Amino acid sequence: MITLTIDGKKIEVEEGATILQAAKKLDIKIPTLCYHPVVEPYAACRVCMVESSHRGRTELVTACNTKVAEGMDIQTSSQRALNARKMNVEMLLARAPAAEPVRDIARSLGITHSRFPVKDPEEKCILCGLCIRTCGEIVGAYAISFTERGTERQVSTPFGEPSEACIGCTACAYFCPTGAIVAEDLRGRKVIHDELLLGPTTAIRVPTRQAVPMVPYIDQEACIHFKTGECRICAKVCDREAVKYDMQDEVVDLEVGSIILASGFKSFDARRIPAYGYGRYPNIITALEFEHLVNASGPTGGKIKLADGGEPKAVGIVHCVGSRDENYNEYCSRVCCMYSLKFAHLIKEKTKAAIYDFYIDMRCFGKGYEEFYHRLLEEGAKFIRGRVSEITDFAASKEEEGRLIIRVEDTLLGIVRRIPVDMAILATGLEPSLDHKQIAKTFNISCSQDSFFLERHPKLAPMSTFSDGIFLAGTCQAPRDIPDTVAQAGGAAAEALALADKGTFALEPITAEIDKDLCAGCQMCVGLCPFTAITYDKEKGISVVNDALCKGCGTCAAACPSGAAQQKHFRDQQIFAEIEGILLV
Amino acid sequence: MPKLTLEELAKIREQARKTTMLREGGEYRAKVTVHMGTCGIAAGARGVMNALLEEMDKRDVRDVLVANSGCAGLCSREPMATVELTGQAPVKYVDLNTDKMRKIFEQHVLGGKIVQEYALGIGSEKTDFTKE
Amino acid sequence: MAEKVKDKTFRIHLMVCAGTGCVSNHSFEIKEALEKEVKKHGMEDEVLVVSTGCNGFCERGPLLVVQPGNIFYQQLTVKDIPHLVEEHFLKGRPVSRLMYTPPREKRPIPVLNDIDFFKKQVLIALRNRGLIDPEKIEESIARDGYKAMAKALTEMTPAQIIKEVTLSGLRGRGGAGFPTGLKWEMVRGAKSTNGGGKFVICNGDEGDPGAFMDRSILEADPHAVIEGMVIGAKAVGGTEGVLYVRNEYPLAVKRLMVALDQARRLGLLGENILGSGFSFDIKVHRGAGAFVCGEETALIASIEGRLGEPRPRPPYPAQSGLHGQPTLINNVETWANVPVIVDRGAKWYSSIGTETSKGTKVFSVVGKINNTGLVEVPMGITLREIIYGIGGGIPGGKQFKAVQTGGPSGGCIPKEMIDLPIDYESLTKAGSMMGSGGMVIMDEDTCMVDIARYFLSFTQEESCGKCTPCREGTKIMLDILTRITEGRGTAQDLTLLEDMANAVKDSALCGLGKTAPNPVLTTLRYFRDEYETHIRDKKCPAHVCRQLNTYTIDPQACLEAGRGCDVCRRNCSSEAIRGEKNTVHSITQEKCIKCGVCFDVCQFHAVKVK
Repeated sequence: MITLTIDGKKIEVEEGATILQAAKKLDIKIPTLCYHPVVEPYAACRVCMVESSHRGRTELVTACNTKVAEGMDIQTSSQRALNARKMNVEMLLARAPAAEPVRDIARSLGITHSRFPVKDPEEKCILCGLCIRTCGEIVGAYAISFTERGTERQVSTPFGEPSEACIGCTACAYFCPTGAIVAEDLRGRKVIHDELLLGPTTAIRVPTRQAVPMVPYIDQEACIHFKTGECRICAKVCDREAVKYDMQDEVVDLEVGSIILASGFKSFDARRIPAYGYGRYPNIITALEFEHLVNASGPTGGKIKLADGGEPKAVGIVHCVGSRDENYNEYCSRVCCMYSLKFAHLIKEKTKAAIYDFYIDMRCFGKGYEEFYHRLLEEGAKFIRGRVSEITDFAASKEEEGRLIIRVEDTLLGIVRRIPVDMAILATGLEPSLDHKQIAKTFNISCSQDSFFLERHPKLAPMSTFSDGIFLAGTCQAPRDIPDTVAQAGGAAAEALALADKGTFALEPITAEIDKDLCAGCQMCVGLCPFTAITYDKEKGISVVNDALCKGCGTCAAACPSGAAQQKHFRDQQIFAEIEGILLV
Repeated sequence: MPKLTLEELAKIREQARKTTMLREGGEYRAKVTVHMGTCGIAAGARGVMNALLEEMDKRDVRDVLVANSGCAGLCSREPMATVELTGQAPVKYVDLNTDKMRKIFEQHVLGGKIVQEYALGIGSEKTDFTKE
Repeated sequence: MAEKVKDKTFRIHLMVCAGTGCVSNHSFEIKEALEKEVKKHGMEDEVLVVSTGCNGFCERGPLLVVQPGNIFYQQLTVKDIPHLVEEHFLKGRPVSRLMYTPPREKRPIPVLNDIDFFKKQVLIALRNRGLIDPEKIEESIARDGYKAMAKALTEMTPAQIIKEVTLSGLRGRGGAGFPTGLKWEMVRGAKSTNGGGKFVICNGDEGDPGAFMDRSILEADPHAVIEGMVIGAKAVGGTEGVLYVRNEYPLAVKRLMVALDQARRLGLLGENILGSGFSFDIKVHRGAGAFVCGEETALIASIEGRLGEPRPRPPYPAQSGLHGQPTLINNVETWANVPVIVDRGAKWYSSIGTETSKGTKVFSVVGKINNTGLVEVPMGITLREIIYGIGGGIPGGKQFKAVQTGGPSGGCIPKEMIDLPIDYESLTKAGSMMGSGGMVIMDEDTCMVDIARYFLSFTQEESCGKCTPCREGTKIMLDILTRITEGRGTAQDLTLLEDMANAVKDSALCGLGKTAPNPVLTTLRYFRDEYETHIRDKKCPAHVCRQLNTYTIDPQACLEAGRGCDVCRRNCSSEAIRGEKNTVHSITQEKCIKCGVCFDVCQFHAVKVK
């Protein structure tokens, strides 16, 4: 341990610590710009200059990288240190007048304006090199560096061309303290309303919000460490040493009696309707994104904000996006009307914005739903009946300039209307999850025409499937809202419990059997069996029926070329005897 | 095995001394050193060197050792050359050009007479320092 | 007899010509007389008399050549000998009367060491300059090249080598003057990691404008540097050497390559050097011309292929340098000194110089001086001795005004301090520095504000841009200075300039930035009145800052001497001059753009500048 004095206060810190770290322990604030705890100190901005007296030598040193030494006496705000710090901040202020952190530090030092000539009032880059050090030290990509010398110095890729070394992680923009680096997509467009990105924003995350258990995992596809072998920043900051990079996904075999499928849905991709402009205009967002935005734990703390931070004056809610449309999905997604009403209510509550709902029919079928609709009507939300044809920023009048215009045929008035709004919410419908076909194959269940899983009987067995012991719950079967889902899930659970509780399983009385003496092992029946009840016994060279799975449909018996497969109680002999009996009568 | 032993190094030293110091007479009657550092070359030492070689060719002189060397320190007076007749003190010439070199070759190297007007001085610099 | 004397060392060799011509001129009698006189003075152990072959200059026999010194006596008679022996060999005063006097010339051509330029120089680092062919290793060996290395490798332990270097008092010749022995000790004590070895680097990235010490050493005597590096490697346990030379020195690079090849071929580099069991080799790394790469951490970054910018120290390269290993980095001149120290001993070396600065220093003396060139002088010599002794004074009888030492980052020392002894401490005290050894002499026609602006424009251009004060500060200061030289300076400018210079000096990251304000600070300190004249009177006393000049034509001179030659009018680009041939010309001040062309072209000194 090393003892030193900072601003007259004694402190003991570990050997190898920096003055900055020691000062932090004492709650003494030393301003910094080019310093970041996860990368090596760079000592370039010279804002953290402090006066150090050690072994009879008094000099100015940078707090960020200077290691503490026994008996050191540090003055963080001596006249000499302040002079140098002020001068450096004033110079940086002239260089990058738009850099917020520089202005903050300048303000705290009492500098209101710089005496030096300003080259570019919009400049934000302070040449701190954090982006470059991040790209090299953390990401390991080394895609950017400084080019040129002196005042011409700038951050650039080699020769200013798009760099092949860049892996597009945007860590540079993330680390940039002044916002001088902006991530753009390949067409040079800014990544818009980026706080609403529902996709992976970080490589380490919990699977979903409010996930249970609340355990984060590393997405290897997105993780820089798995791309470049570097970074490990999560392990560096995790003091419980919980981050492991060598953990692999594993396949677990579980033996169970029954299975409940609840694989959910995916939201309709609004990009598929280009006329609605989603992805082109920052203020057109989907229902899920609005939900995220309006959530109190969301990026804006529940405030409804436009991409530029302003508040909308008018909001349009477009119903039936991707639903009730023969070009996309013919079915009604059932939930959109009600959540759209909820949105309208929330917007009313939180803003002064005018609200327009564009609907085909209002489907408020549940308990209290219709009443809610009436309440909205009373609250002043405007409902326009008609399918929206287009959302555009093409202004036809002065009033429309800089806004989004929703074109719609008002079928009640019989005219085409142009409604200017600031934000449009697309009430996207529900679709079967992406991997529903794979799931259907795995569990040997069927899908209905709309691709949702098919139940055994819509009225008598709505949560069962044609495979015994496999039950359905929720939107994997059909679009439904939360109360319905909960109810169905309860039913599915009860069915599964009933099986488990009994402990026994009543076999079908009528099943198939294969005569081992007659079976030639052609395996024709194996492929035909719709219940995968027949397996081939390699050792004996014959096919075998699993009685628990066999439903006695008789397909195998009809197809067996050697007559080895027979259905109990319906053997050829018995059938023939029956036929004979009938004929005799 | 090392390529070179201490004894061999000493032997090279002795041998090289004989040829470079011109003490023993022998093969060469004179040594002309043209100082070809960057400063010399920039001032035209290459032309001076070529003129010297040309003269030797023309007169078929073979017993003069021509050498180049680095800057002699007085960069403002380049190009410089040192003429050392066997057994005599070297003479440094300054501010040379090709014509001057030809004259020096004829009068000093071949004729043994120092060309007074171009000469800077006789002898070499002291390279040992002893307190006086 | 010859056998007997061979293993003795003599102070003086007397070479009496025994060619036919001289023998007939009684050279044997001269030899006998010499031996007699030498014995008489009891110098037979110091002075050796030998007979040599024909010297060729038979006309002037009998001849006597005195070595060392190559002093040439001619037409000797026996009568001359006692006087000669007493004066020259006993008292050390060569007898010019007996030297060769060419015909038509009263004054003999001086011995080189009598010429002021050479007289006061002491050659250690430059010991072989002009004497050897740098592309022939044998010539280097003939002048004791690699002798010290052989001694270090076979007879000395690392500790002994370092002790010798430490005791010699040698300090880094690259500029900062860090004690070399201490640095070596640090590298020797540092541990390399992962078997990475230790590196030995020669810093030959000489970038100061007007400085060419390193270039000259590398061109004239590359073996001295190579030898020094091998000795250094042995001392610190170095495993690999890198010679960093800027690519703007093609001749130095070429000669180094040749020298390294030859040393390798002879086995003076490579495996098991001279059978000592020590192996070491050196490769050349060519720098791309960034001034800041002369800073050691930037240089190392550049070798590693990274951006050539300095990093904060500590850790020092001695602890973590090239590829993170302990690295010994010294400048070309430092390395060239090492073999001599090892060969002749610390005691001898430390007898030269001052209390704190030992040995010699090479300076490139340039600017307004008669003898520009490279000089090696003992530490402690005064500026006056260099400027008026070695340098031969200021051309054109002008007044000496100031000298700028230490390259662009050094300071200007005014004429009042001309008797300042040159060593690390006194230069620093004067606000300047030793630097790598640039010395720019300025006369009365030099404007100090303009000089400060010039040097700052260099450092500003060469600032890598990493740290704020150096990148922004030098640019802003340069703008202020430019403003002053153009007559747009204000009263506040000087305080601002001074504040900024101090802040930059105090807070820059590396040596470049810390020293860049030196020219500004020293000129402000010693020549403040010049700044004030520029700002207050809008005048440049030296008439260098043309925007502040007023050009007029002296009618009398124009007509009487030049007969209205009209040259000025024809050369004026802004049609500011009126007049025609054979009449008096005059300048319309409103039109004059102060380019100074009329002043330059007028051969009759009729154009006056104020």
